[in-house]
Amino acid sequence: MLAEEQALLDGVLAKDRKAAAEFVSRYADAVYGYVSRRLAPRRDLVEDVVQDVFLVALQKLASFAGQSSVVGWLLGIARHKVEDFYRAQLREPDSLPDDGEVPSAASTVTLDLDELIDAARAEEKTRHILERLPVAYSAALQWRYWEKRSTKEMAAHTGKTEKAIERLLARARSAFRRLWEAS
Amino acid sequence: MNDEHFFVRLAEKTAAGSVAADRAPARLKSRLYSALVAEQATDGPLRSLPATKAAGRPLCVFEHVLQGVPHEGIVSMNPCRVCHARLLAEHFEAPPIYWPHCPYVEFQRR
Repeated sequence: MLAEEQALLDGVLAKDRKAAAEFVSRYADAVYGYVSRRLAPRRDLVEDVVQDVFLVALQKLASFAGQSSVVGWLLGIARHKVEDFYRAQLREPDSLPDDGEVPSAASTVTLDLDELIDAARAEEKTRHILERLPVAYSAALQWRYWEKRSTKEMAAHTGKTEKAIERLLARARSAFRRLWEAS
Repeated sequence: MNDEHFFVRLAEKTAAGSVAADRAPARLKSRLYSALVAEQATDGPLRSLPATKAAGRPLCVFEHVLQGVPHEGIVSMNPCRVCHARLLAEHFEAPPIYWPHCPYVEFQRR
């Protein structure tokens, strides 16, 4: 951590209101950017989650040892908050849409590798699709692939069986794929 | 490419953008600041305005008036709580507030 960052944190700990303002100015964009992408399509929850992140950070500030950057530390807190959201979505019995047959693992895949070459385009398209999917599908995909949680971990966090998580992921991938191919 | 591989690659490809690009709305920054200062004030007084000024952080016009009052309760109070700038900034993205060194005005600029 930089000396300048440490001075800012010291100011916040000393309850200096201007330091608090600088703390918000400096780090709100990064936390907001992360949370707004990870909560798609529930953008209506983003601001409350970001506020929770900052309030938790304030509570834990005195114990922050400075072993990582401040922004890295804040994003760690944000990640926990986002995972709370995923967990809640996947725990809800009604949040797991059952639209019939589970797509087989051997289903024909026609996803275009070339589409992944342009990262900016891939990101925009991905974001758009995640916002159109049912919340449980979007949450499951992001938790599994963007947050890199195993199906076993997801099952443990939600009280579901691993098989149920795999079925949900199969349906979510299938729904994503249909939208990807259509757009 | 199978599904699993596709999603692993897609996540890798789009992960970098997850922390960049989006700017938090100024009204959210205003809300965050208000919430942090309110939280800080729950278990004791804020750093006094003279001490804040001495630390090199400029005061707004209202804080400047209050910092001269010889009363610890006054110089450690949070005048933003009752300031119209806070109310406007928490609800509008570009409110008509122009006070120099007001955090709520600064959030509009950054």
